[in-house]
Amino acid sequence: MRAERYAPYILVAPAVLIIVVLRLYPLLLGVNFSFTGDGAQNGTAVGFGNYRELFADPLFQTALKNVGLLVLLLPVAVAIPGLLATFIYLRVPGHRFYRSVYFFPAVLSPVIVGAIFNLLLAFDGPLNAVLGSVGIEPIDWLGDPGIAMFMVVGVHIWATFGMALVVFLAGFATLDPALLDAARVDGASLRQVVWHVIVPSLSRTIQFVFVTTMIGMLTSMFGLLYVMTSGGPEGSTYLPEFYIWKQQGQMNRPALASAASTILFMIMLVVGLLQIKLLERSGKED
Amino acid sequence: MSRLRLGFWLIAVPMSLLALATIYPLLFTANVAMKTRRDYILDRFSLTDALRWENISAAWNSVGMGRYFVNSLFVVTVSVLLLLLLGSMAGFALSQLRFRGSSALFLGCLAGLFIPFQVIMVPLARIMADTALIDTYPGLILVYVAQFLPFTVFLMTSYYKGIPPEIVDAARIDGNTVYGVYRRIMLPLGTPALLSVGILNALFCWNDVLMALVMMPSADHRTLMIGVTSLRGQYSDNIPTFASGVLIAAIPVLLVYLFLQRQIADGVAAGSTKG
Repeated sequence: MRAERYAPYILVAPAVLIIVVLRLYPLLLGVNFSFTGDGAQNGTAVGFGNYRELFADPLFQTALKNVGLLVLLLPVAVAIPGLLATFIYLRVPGHRFYRSVYFFPAVLSPVIVGAIFNLLLAFDGPLNAVLGSVGIEPIDWLGDPGIAMFMVVGVHIWATFGMALVVFLAGFATLDPALLDAARVDGASLRQVVWHVIVPSLSRTIQFVFVTTMIGMLTSMFGLLYVMTSGGPEGSTYLPEFYIWKQQGQMNRPALASAASTILFMIMLVVGLLQIKLLERSGKED
Repeated sequence: MSRLRLGFWLIAVPMSLLALATIYPLLFTANVAMKTRRDYILDRFSLTDALRWENISAAWNSVGMGRYFVNSLFVVTVSVLLLLLLGSMAGFALSQLRFRGSSALFLGCLAGLFIPFQVIMVPLARIMADTALIDTYPGLILVYVAQFLPFTVFLMTSYYKGIPPEIVDAARIDGNTVYGVYRRIMLPLGTPALLSVGILNALFCWNDVLMALVMMPSADHRTLMIGVTSLRGQYSDNIPTFASGVLIAAIPVLLVYLFLQRQIADGVAAGSTKG
């Protein structure tokens, strides 16, 4: 029986060790690393030198601007799956079919999605062929610095809204149907039902989707950027994660990349803390 | 009621159009993969006149998509098995056994959820290089396991919390060791959760591009998704073969989706409602 005392620790040890050594420790190592030099200055302390260089770099400035754009587009990326989930929950004819079709792109790799849209959006590709047939000049969807980022974000939303949809539907499953019936009996319109019954009862789910969608935009667009634009045209489609990869892998600037990583982590912490604040506030209202 | 019903049909039109927009890009790609180059150049949209497999076999053989496919299959299988083993062991202990420090250890595992790969990419690559694990299959497998273990531990712990502790007590009285309880009771009882989280992890690993790109620099270690990214350079002038390569990478996921959609959605839902 004595050997049994250690059994729980033996069961937990492998998972804890892997997580500590390959996730928590690298986080500290990376922050530490961001205050040291690159190249000839390898390993020497440079204070905030990397951070100064980072914020002076136009590519990183673009990456931060694009994060701002993502924040602005966030309500759209949440509202679309939210509305669709509402209709599916209210049993639109064919709701099962819609559910499984909408969810499908969410399981495809961003690389596959990106490759498919490279094909569709090519200058001599099908989309421009359709536009040409109604007399519109071909548009360089992925080659125009003014449009490319919108296209990539649009494709990202197209590919991931099914994930948020499933999360919303899981939230709907916890909803009390009596509330809806009562609203119907009182003659509430669809808009009133959504606004006064569904939104308040799903506030937790809505916040969860907001945060996971934001985190998804910050950490799972690399595949699309890599395949569709490689950060171009003219560096207009940079995001922090692409910048980190570029500096580390292509430019051989690991310390600068670490500084960018630390900034990305700070952005994510802010998103997470906002989430907790919002939760507390809505908790007070209940 | 009737007004609401009319409203539903007004909603059904945009919803159907969106369904079409969701599925059409893939159908278009599949159609192009079956066409000859000449047919594609002449008309992008015409339905293929025959099911041609030569583009597919060209992509499979000449670009090495076949070899990358096998690489991916191997890495994903081993990663998922390890994730399920380590995740269920930890999940069982953290949910059913009382021991000192268990909640601190659980929080430690949970903290890993909030650290994306991009944030620890540079130091992790360095650790892998220092231990000579970079550009090896065990190295990539270890990176995948570390990436998805927090999520797996979290889901398995919350699933096992729903199992009455009396079951464990009864099995202990019957003379089982803790390990015996894990093997004979907890693993079989955990099957639905293991299936869900296993499929999700398999999709995550299969679809990954950034980790494979950073950890596997050499060409013959490539995973299938890295293979897809190299297609464009090689086949920019031969769109049907390019589309075939994309299709090869998409078909396994499509099959998994067709048969196991329920489990995938359940896994996603469990991850969101337990939070």
